[in-house]
Amino acid sequence: MTENPYQPSLATIEKIKVEVTGERAIKTFRLVMQDKKIQEEFSFVCGQCVMISKLGKGESMFAISSSPTEKDYLEVSVMKHGKNTSALHETEEGDTVGVRGPYGNHFDVEGWKNKNIVFVGGGIGMAPLRSVVNYTLADKNRDQYGNLDIIYGARTSNDLCFKDEFAELQKREDVNVHLSIDVVEEGWEEFVGFVPSNLLRVKPPSKNTIAITCGPPIMIKFVIQNLLELGFKDEQIYTTLEMRMKCGIGICGRCNIGNLYVCKDGPVFSNAQLKNLEGDL
Amino acid sequence: MESLVISKENFPEIINTIIKSYRLFAPTEENGFSGFNIIKDYSEMDLSYLNSRMPPKAILFNQTETLFLMKPGAKGSIKPKEIRNEKTAIFAIRPCDAKGFRILDPVFLGNYVDPLYKANRDNSVLIGLSCNQPDSSCFCTSFGDSPASGKYVDILFTDIEEKYLVEVMTEKGKGFVNDFSRFFSPASPNQIEAKNAKEEEAIKLIKRNLKVEGIEEKMDKMFDHPIWEEYAKKCIGCGTCTYLCPTCHCFDMQDESTLDKGARVRTWDACMFPEYTMHASGHNPRPARMHRVRNRFYHKYSYYPKNSGVIACTGCGRCIRYCPVNIDIIELMNRVSEMEL
Amino acid sequence: MVDQKMLVEVAKETLAREDVKYIIGYKKGSYGFQTSAAFAYTPKDVEEFIFTPLCNKNLAKYPLKEEKLPLKRGEEEDKRKIGLVVKGCDSRAIVQIIQENGMKREDVVLIGIPCPGVINQKEIEKRFPNQSEITDINEINDEYVFTVEGKEHKIPKQELLAEVCKTCEYPNPVLYDVMIGEEVEVNPKAEYEGIKDLEEAPLENRWEYWEEQFQRCIRCYACREACPLCYCSTCMADLLEPQWIRRSVNLSENTAWNIMRAFHLAGRCISCGACENACPMDIPLMELNKKLGKEVKEMFEYTPGLDIDAKPLLGSFNPDDPEEFIK
Repeated sequence: MTENPYQPSLATIEKIKVEVTGERAIKTFRLVMQDKKIQEEFSFVCGQCVMISKLGKGESMFAISSSPTEKDYLEVSVMKHGKNTSALHETEEGDTVGVRGPYGNHFDVEGWKNKNIVFVGGGIGMAPLRSVVNYTLADKNRDQYGNLDIIYGARTSNDLCFKDEFAELQKREDVNVHLSIDVVEEGWEEFVGFVPSNLLRVKPPSKNTIAITCGPPIMIKFVIQNLLELGFKDEQIYTTLEMRMKCGIGICGRCNIGNLYVCKDGPVFSNAQLKNLEGDL
Repeated sequence: MESLVISKENFPEIINTIIKSYRLFAPTEENGFSGFNIIKDYSEMDLSYLNSRMPPKAILFNQTETLFLMKPGAKGSIKPKEIRNEKTAIFAIRPCDAKGFRILDPVFLGNYVDPLYKANRDNSVLIGLSCNQPDSSCFCTSFGDSPASGKYVDILFTDIEEKYLVEVMTEKGKGFVNDFSRFFSPASPNQIEAKNAKEEEAIKLIKRNLKVEGIEEKMDKMFDHPIWEEYAKKCIGCGTCTYLCPTCHCFDMQDESTLDKGARVRTWDACMFPEYTMHASGHNPRPARMHRVRNRFYHKYSYYPKNSGVIACTGCGRCIRYCPVNIDIIELMNRVSEMEL
Repeated sequence: MVDQKMLVEVAKETLAREDVKYIIGYKKGSYGFQTSAAFAYTPKDVEEFIFTPLCNKNLAKYPLKEEKLPLKRGEEEDKRKIGLVVKGCDSRAIVQIIQENGMKREDVVLIGIPCPGVINQKEIEKRFPNQSEITDINEINDEYVFTVEGKEHKIPKQELLAEVCKTCEYPNPVLYDVMIGEEVEVNPKAEYEGIKDLEEAPLENRWEYWEEQFQRCIRCYACREACPLCYCSTCMADLLEPQWIRRSVNLSENTAWNIMRAFHLAGRCISCGACENACPMDIPLMELNKKLGKEVKEMFEYTPGLDIDAKPLLGSFNPDDPEEFIK
């Protein structure tokens, strides 16, 4: 019998972590496949995505936010937006969800060895970057990469995702964290302003460096502009794009930018590719 | 290729014999227009048709289809969909619509194989019927095809007055004809000539031509051209062109469930609808009709050819015939073709 | 016949007004018996304007379809009016929309056309399926006169006239800024005659009839998109949460869609027939709309699309409203 690529495998929500509360709530879900064999065989590379569904409520594509070095589970960080994500936010630990994937291309973490990496994230856009951060910081990998700079911001301090993890990272010496929020808040001691401005302030050197960025489309646009201004070449800049998706495997049609499908030809694109891509972003 | 004939007297009998071992789809007339339906007797068939209103793509790629069953909720479970292998014959499919499947194949049978489409495709014999009376919106000849082309079918029937000329095009077609061999006899050179004459006559009836030469390269330079806005202005954004198109294949996937049972269902979707690309966040990469109209024409004449090597349009003419606001792909594409940039 | 020269002249004058940004009218179509909406920005564009018995689309939809893209920095919104060529039914659509606050009277300049009735597009294309050449049709003495492949045809008007036009009570624009020519005579034929048979049929037969019709709906929403009164910013058919109508295309959901749409048009439908013309599956949607229109007329003595100052039927309450339907 032909395999049915539309049919998910079942996974159990092992852990739910509240990242952001309020209107733009974000939770991180740790998922373990119910079939042991499937869990063991589930392998992915940083940047790849999975389709997650609360059965009966639909299905949505998320970047895997955990690192491939964490073998026993996968994590996705979900902002509450539509029907399925709202339903996911109502789940409890122990509940069952459907998982399909991993899908799409990935960040070339192998090829970036011995390079510095600048992460530029905004809001929930930190999720795919977190996978790379944790991958490069993993004990066995850290010495294979150069300087790691994380430039991350959100609208308010509450909207910052992975707060506790950043607090831990800030204690480490082998990674630099530069946080920001959009507007002034009492008690906030770090940068106030948009992420692209923080990038210009931090001024990461472009030499032997890869910059990866993810966030709202408008932020990505200005981050790329500013990276170019800082001397980064198109080939040094990577972003991961988001589109409405249904099938996740390049059939259903909606996630195209020009002749490419974000689900299967993306989500990771270098700016060199993006520049030549004519389509609706 | 083997050429046979079948007499029209024997025709009802072969159809009724096929029905005994095949699910036979054939054109029938209902409510004043033609559609492909499963027939139980020869008499239900109506061959006096130009083409079916809905393309026969709907037979292999149903408008609504269950992908799998489920028990919804926190402790949900999944029940796989049973994929049925039903011996199917589609009789009197037009060459343009048969070509449609050739265009759908790389989409559904690519890196990821769609098991529903594959089962339907593998189990179907396409028996074409040459178009002897194309109408004013037909333009298959623009793509180097012909209303009597056997290129995309397993077997092609052509009405040559007292008999049908039967051309066996594929191995699958050969197997099929062998199963019903008693109805066929070898064609004479005159009969083959009669088909060629019919084909020529039919080609002459096709008066409109879409100039395809160099169109892909042209479109590479026209993404920001005002022509898309011009056509988008009169587009009302319905799904007629996409749903009636033999090559449009976009779909939606939705969970349809009650408290304790449900299914993930896929239904045809249309790139003309704003919801099609709308992100949950509210951001829409194609917010205006101009973006959507442009995407549709680019998909057919630029993106698909870039990915699969052929234009994703067969010249069936349905989008022209049934567009409520006279958006005419021949007119538009010829303007693109002739555009001096 | 409408004086086309005068139409072009009036349209030119209208376009010349400082407060008009463009005019929507009709022009020749791309082939056969088609006509097309024309968006005229320049006097040259206006010269393409026509009005013939083939101008059977309702242009009143277009001002509502105008897309307002986000303004660029320093750019100001163009608040000038849209000029619109309207037949009787189109003008009623505009009146109804104004009544519902969907647009303001000052948003549009209306060029009124006393309409002698338009041709049923599907009927004429069925009769002459091979006509690819762009064809002019004249109405002469209750006959449509035109040439197909060198042969002149004269067809009695009633044979080709659109169904809605046969019973039209308002062929003359009810709202306009300029009128092209003299008013036409009102057709005395009773408006609801077309649904008499259906009304008289027993309940089961009617249900069976509509099941058959809705069964073949493909949910392309051409009816909705063509209808000048379907202008909700989010149609409830598109909502996912809550989901009123499933995406599955089957008799149950199709019926829900078609009945919901008919109900939402009760007391609002102005009988232009645009939905039925647009339907690729030939569902007789106007029978449904007419029936509801008749109920509204008999129960509430209300006819939509006549008076911009009237209150919309479903937006007003009267203690004397009949309540026979509550049982």
